[in-house]
Amino acid sequence: MFLRLVADSFVRRPRRKLLTGAALALGMAVATAALSVSLDVGDRLAKEFRGLGANLLVTPETDSLPLEIGGVDYRPVNSGAYLPEADLAKLKTIFWHNNIVAFAPALGIRAQELDGSCEKMPPGSLPGKVNCIPHRGEVHLVGTWSGHEMKLADGQTFLTGIEKTNPWWNIEGRWFSETVPPNLPDQVVVGQRLAQHLNISLTAPITLFGLHGVDEQYPAMVVGIVSTGGPEDDDIMAPMQLVQKIAGVDGKYKKLYVSALTKPEDEFARRDPRSMDADELERWSCSPYVSSIAYTIKQVLPGADVRVIRRVADGEGAILTRVRLLLWLVTGAALLAAALALGASSAASVIERRTEIGLMKALGAGSATVGFLLTAEQLLLAFVGGGVGYALGIILARLLGERIFGAAPEPSFLVFFVILLLAAVVTMLGSAIPLRRASRFEPAPILRGE
Amino acid sequence: MSSQSTNNRRMFWRIVRRLLTANRGRLFVVLLALGSGATITAALLNLQIDAKRRLTREFRAFGPNLVVAPKSSRATEAAGTIPESTFERFPAQQDAKELRRAGFLYTIAQVTAYPDRTKVEHTAAKPVVIAGFRYDGVDELDKVLPYKTIEGTHSVIPGANTCQIGASVATEFGIHINSQLELDSGIQNVSCSVSEIRSFGGAEDNQIFVAMEHAQRLAGLPHELSLIQARVTGTPEQIEHYVSALQKASPEVEVRPIRQFTEAEGKIYGRISGLLTATVAIVLALTGLCVLAAMTNVAMERRNDVGLMKAIGGSVRRVVRFFLVEAALLGLIAGSLGAAAGIAISTVLGKAVFGVAAQPRLIVYPVAVALTIVVAVLSSFPLRRLAGIRPALVFRGEA
Repeated sequence: MFLRLVADSFVRRPRRKLLTGAALALGMAVATAALSVSLDVGDRLAKEFRGLGANLLVTPETDSLPLEIGGVDYRPVNSGAYLPEADLAKLKTIFWHNNIVAFAPALGIRAQELDGSCEKMPPGSLPGKVNCIPHRGEVHLVGTWSGHEMKLADGQTFLTGIEKTNPWWNIEGRWFSETVPPNLPDQVVVGQRLAQHLNISLTAPITLFGLHGVDEQYPAMVVGIVSTGGPEDDDIMAPMQLVQKIAGVDGKYKKLYVSALTKPEDEFARRDPRSMDADELERWSCSPYVSSIAYTIKQVLPGADVRVIRRVADGEGAILTRVRLLLWLVTGAALLAAALALGASSAASVIERRTEIGLMKALGAGSATVGFLLTAEQLLLAFVGGGVGYALGIILARLLGERIFGAAPEPSFLVFFVILLLAAVVTMLGSAIPLRRASRFEPAPILRGE
Repeated sequence: MSSQSTNNRRMFWRIVRRLLTANRGRLFVVLLALGSGATITAALLNLQIDAKRRLTREFRAFGPNLVVAPKSSRATEAAGTIPESTFERFPAQQDAKELRRAGFLYTIAQVTAYPDRTKVEHTAAKPVVIAGFRYDGVDELDKVLPYKTIEGTHSVIPGANTCQIGASVATEFGIHINSQLELDSGIQNVSCSVSEIRSFGGAEDNQIFVAMEHAQRLAGLPHELSLIQARVTGTPEQIEHYVSALQKASPEVEVRPIRQFTEAEGKIYGRISGLLTATVAIVLALTGLCVLAAMTNVAMERRNDVGLMKAIGGSVRRVVRFFLVEAALLGLIAGSLGAAAGIAISTVLGKAVFGVAAQPRLIVYPVAVALTIVVAVLSSFPLRRLAGIRPALVFRGEA
């Protein structure tokens, strides 16, 4: 009988049930979308912050003090310590290897002569216009990686380079390729200010001189002009091997920039790992704090000093914490709005059934039976509506995610359960108050229409 | 004629009043839905305006976003300088407190350290980059360039010859705070005692920070600076405007935004304000939905009333007007109460998120009320079906 009553209520008045169900589904769809987007937003924003570039800097531990002003090291050439380039493959083997988005080593040398006199170019290498650069002077030459492919242990290839660690750099033309056929000149990229100053245009041939006089020549071709908005606008960037060859330090680098996805630092993260006990140390090293990633990197790169680039990391942490809080709050507000909307509509649907309740009571049904019946109906509606709403909400979340972040959030089961629970709780609460009042109804006046 | 229209009007409002008060339970439900919608809308709108503004301020955690440097390219000349007067020529920003700037002068000096002040033992002299700096107002360097203090404090004792050293300098010389440093540039020499050790994670770790006049004396460059770093708050467009204004004011120097930060800030700002706008839209849609559900019930319940009205000669337009006025009134009442509550809530939320209470914006109030009324009227869409009711069918109980 009970089941029949519930079923009848759905079958006899499909239109009204459909309306309430649709309202529920829509409300839950919106709640699902809000929840999915905000669950995902932390990760998305963390990735967005990687647009700031590297947040860790690795330098040789035993280095003498760099005399660096405006990005140029004024120490005599070949002074100071180096780190082996071969060790870099280990970075993708550490515990946090998935958090390491990109890294690029750099080797800067000063006092290279630049000359683009036409007659020095290999004949026939450039058909048509030949650029002559009547200049000879000091430049800062930086060797680095671009589009560098690394074979990982799991057989995958990891693509990294300076364009990944410094994503805000604009390149006109393209980045140099690290390997060129043996008969062609090496490729280099020139900073925009230097290019403007020396009147170097794309595809211009230039000659780099070695440290030992004019006899040591390295012909090169400008394949890109980079605009960085920083001191690098005055540099020439070249493949690592070329600069290593010029500087005479094979397989070595001076600085390593690492861009890692991190969790904002809190009080705990700022503690000195040496002062922690075993449990705390485990918790600390299992959270992707920038300091614990730095610690792990230091363990695989012997002789290296890993520093957090405070400017990037602290700023990121501060803003990420605030924004997360803000978004949770906003999601909370959206959920609250959904709950109130649904509560109100389920309350309305109970109120309008006063006559029915009166009739049931007149036929001898107890308040408990009536309440139970109506609750069962509401719950059934909540689960169906919640389920449909979840499906709709995932689509909505995709649209929103793609609109705002250019990537859709992953559907999550957690959200599904939260939504079903929310639907159930909200409809129950919404109908509880009118039901309580209904249980006190005297059947007679209601049936008389009073 | 006029008395008839007065009577008509009186009758109209009388019916509206009855419609509103006839079913208290439903009135309460609709008011609650509209009111809470208005509350949340007003709170979010207010928070959104405030958050966008405050977010641009939060970006100062990134430190400077523009640099004023000599025009000359490093490729042709030795590092040039800019006149110190450039420092004073920054155009004022709307919010004067929001402009932060620091001037730097770099030079290289031979440094000898006396680790223990009481003893004459000292380290060998090594060249180190000396950074003279000055900032305006009371702010310390960490407001311009974020760093982490390793040792000491950054309270500067006026008159005392203190200097702050980067972490690498401290390791290199093996010194701690209160050590004495002797700086010799070949032109001049200056001594100071270390008051703080700082870790920046950048080239600043290899520098010794001294007061500007010391650096200028060491370098032999009185009233000159190497560069100025500044933090301007605002949206990307505002920053661009500021840069061009500053460039106009000081044509002899180069003003350039630090793209690393301005670009990322612009992107993040866009994402977050997009999210906030989306949520406000969602909440409004939900409120509408809720009122829609309630109004559907109203429409169904009122078939009898409408049938009667029609039977005694009420036109469809007139009947629909009753319900629209009712909806608008409900929206007005719920909106006025809810929006006020929402603005109050948003100040509290602002405090929770940004640590500073959000300023109530008066414009939010009328906007939220108007939105609520619009939502209420639009959600009365189901009432349209009343127009099609045929009195005879209703009275026979067939419809």
